[in-house]
Amino acid sequence: MSAQERAAVIAALNGPAVTAPTRATLLERLDARYERQFLSETEFARLRAVAVRLVPHDPAEMDLSGLIDQRLHQNLSDGWRYADTPADGPAYQGLLAALPSNFETLSGDEQDAAIHELQASQPHPFEDLLAELTEGFMAHPLTQYRFGYAGFMDAPGWPRVGPNELEAREIAYGESGNDQ
Amino acid sequence: MTNNPELDVLVIGTGAGGAPLLARLAAAGLRVLALEAGVRHRPAEMPTDEVAQAGLFWMDERLSAGKDPVGFGRNNSGRGVGGSTLHYTAYTPRAQPDDFELLKEFGQGVDWPLSYADLEPYYDEVEQFLGVSGPSEYPWGPPRQRPYPHPALPLNGAALLMEQAAQQSGIRTSAAANAALSRPQEQEGYGLRPACSNRGFCQAGCSTGAKASLDVTYLALAEARGATIWEGAQVTKLLMKGGRVSGAEFVRGGKTQTLHARQVVLAAGAIETPRLLLLSGVGNSSEQVGRNFMAHVGVQVWGLVDDDLRPYKGIPGGLISEDFHRIPGLVGGYLLQSLGVMPVTYATQYARGTGKWGAALSEHLSQYNHVAGINVLGECLPYAGNFLELSSELDERGLPKPLIHFSFGENEHRMAKHAETVMRDLWAKIGAREVWALPRAAHTIGTARMGHDPSSNVVDAFGRSHDTPGLWICDNSTFPSSLSVNPGLTQMALSLRTADALIAELKA
Ligand SMILES: Cc1cc2nc3c(=O)[nH]c(=O)nc-3n(C[C@H](O)[C@H](O)[C@H](O)COP(=O)(O)OP(=O)(O)OC[C@H]3O[C@@H](n4cnc5c(N)ncnc54)[C@H](O)[C@@H]3O)c2cc1C
Ligand code: SF4
Repeated sequence: MSAQERAAVIAALNGPAVTAPTRATLLERLDARYERQFLSETEFARLRAVAVRLVPHDPAEMDLSGLIDQRLHQNLSDGWRYADTPADGPAYQGLLAALPSNFETLSGDEQDAAIHELQASQPHPFEDLLAELTEGFMAHPLTQYRFGYAGFMDAPGWPRVGPNELEAREIAYGESGNDQ
Repeated sequence: MTNNPELDVLVIGTGAGGAPLLARLAAAGLRVLALEAGVRHRPAEMPTDEVAQAGLFWMDERLSAGKDPVGFGRNNSGRGVGGSTLHYTAYTPRAQPDDFELLKEFGQGVDWPLSYADLEPYYDEVEQFLGVSGPSEYPWGPPRQRPYPHPALPLNGAALLMEQAAQQSGIRTSAAANAALSRPQEQEGYGLRPACSNRGFCQAGCSTGAKASLDVTYLALAEARGATIWEGAQVTKLLMKGGRVSGAEFVRGGKTQTLHARQVVLAAGAIETPRLLLLSGVGNSSEQVGRNFMAHVGVQVWGLVDDDLRPYKGIPGGLISEDFHRIPGLVGGYLLQSLGVMPVTYATQYARGTGKWGAALSEHLSQYNHVAGINVLGECLPYAGNFLELSSELDERGLPKPLIHFSFGENEHRMAKHAETVMRDLWAKIGAREVWALPRAAHTIGTARMGHDPSSNVVDAFGRSHDTPGLWICDNSTFPSSLSVNPGLTQMALSLRTADALIAELKA
């Protein structure tokens, strides 16, 4: 993330429009990095390669693969899984193992072709992985800044809620913002 | 309170089923205690963030099978002092009288062992107590005895667009009733609850107390009247003595303990309640425990518009139409409701629902501020093939995980299709782009049905177990049919009704 983006996010989070619990949560997430613990080195490298094709992002900016590895390591569940699918850890390992052995060195187009096949052959584990990556991506303060999402500026509430009835802090925040 | 042999009633679960009852029993001077698996979530400590709020949901793993497997976790189940009302949208329509008599009207499904008239005074009482905000004139259902205590909340972007589209289509709409305050209200046992600040994060917990989750309403009242709530106490088994249910075994702070009472009310929701009954081998002489699992037809239709809508603002479910309460050729019907949505919820639903990834995914998500949604809640009939059983896989406590089978029947498929067409037409009227439909089932219902006949039902019309003295059930598991409305208000009304029956029995 550029220095300017980072400064804008931090300024907003530290501003008076954000309540303390929200601020603490998002500041922590902005810089969260995880040590690989659950997947093998090979599996993890492959997860990273798949992850950037599934949900385009720069792993240096947001550690979405690390977030997944960390959850698997802590054995945290999201409350349910398809009965025909193994537990999340083995399911994801199975997905990664089903990719061509030279996946990381394939061209982008070839990687996408392999991913399409994976989506067709293992729809449920694939859907779970895609949803988990999407969640990490959308919950990240940097993504929210880039997409102009200001809902975390929760302290004053939103007196006007109709179409195009924006508060100054909404207009100002985000990449398309006027005064950033 | 210590391990008290003189407890009158032990309540398991503090959601829509457990909480109103707890308050009523305490007010009657009974010695009552509730065991709640989850912890207290204080409004002021709640971040406006979906991921951080995952702790409001029941995250123990459930297994989903069938042709239309139901998503649980953050979709369908709460955990905490207040249960699923901590994250409900606080949308509180009443059921209509004919909802309780599907069999009589259509020859399918089953009738409730009670009527609208039985519930009406309780509906009224709950609405007044929670401080429901709603319209002064509501076009559907029987006339009200008393108006809603507060005026309707403001309509957000999606609601206004839906209103505009419906007008063009000749569909009647109304501001919805929501258990969130449009004006401040003094709440007995809690204090002053402020008016809703339109923060839009109801489904991740209300950080102000404006929403009538049960922690700031009935549970506060219950504690003020002498009830005890033990948080972080997960019941693992019902205990029997002399042919009666006499108490429960639970794990709290890593220690297994027991509590006994004259009567036990199981209010753990439509998944954990049948699971506990099956684990304990209790209340199942009808062999109906776990059967008749239902989930509302819940298709959502989403689209992008040019207007800057900011779907995170305003109460998420603001506009309603019950014009499709009955549809020729279908059993039952559905209601339509506008949808606001939080960013992560929208994004993950889009990924799961469309299977899109790569640039197509991020390009769509970057337009989150322009997203508008509508959804339906439609009748789901009970089917023999839809049930909960104990799986062979064990959880971390060594107890079998619940396995839930669910497939739509013919009626649900046709209803979902009908609804999708109506909603796509509406969004076409306002020129929405990239319109897509998420097939979905919402709410967990059935599994310990109420009815007069002990051979085909688990509890009677008041929630009393047909075969095991000392046991009552008060949660969504007792619904004989799904109703074509959100279940929360009806559940709270049933809870007060069960409380009155329990008080009568204990004082007899
Ligand atoms: C995202 C979402 C939005 C919703 N929106 C609406 C809405 O707008 N309007 C509406 O009417 N309804 C809505 N609902 C549904 C509504 O919340 C439920 O119908 C209602 O809360 C069900 O009440 P219940 O008592 O059956 O279960 P719950 O309210 O879920 O309560 C069960 C409680 O029991 C506890 N428990 C479970 N097992 C154990 C155990 N073994 N030991 C101890 N405690 C246990 C749980 O932790 C929980 O607190 C929504 C639900 C969800 C998930
Ligand atoms: S919209 Fe209102 S009720 Fe919902 S979370 Fe915000 S303040 Fe609470």
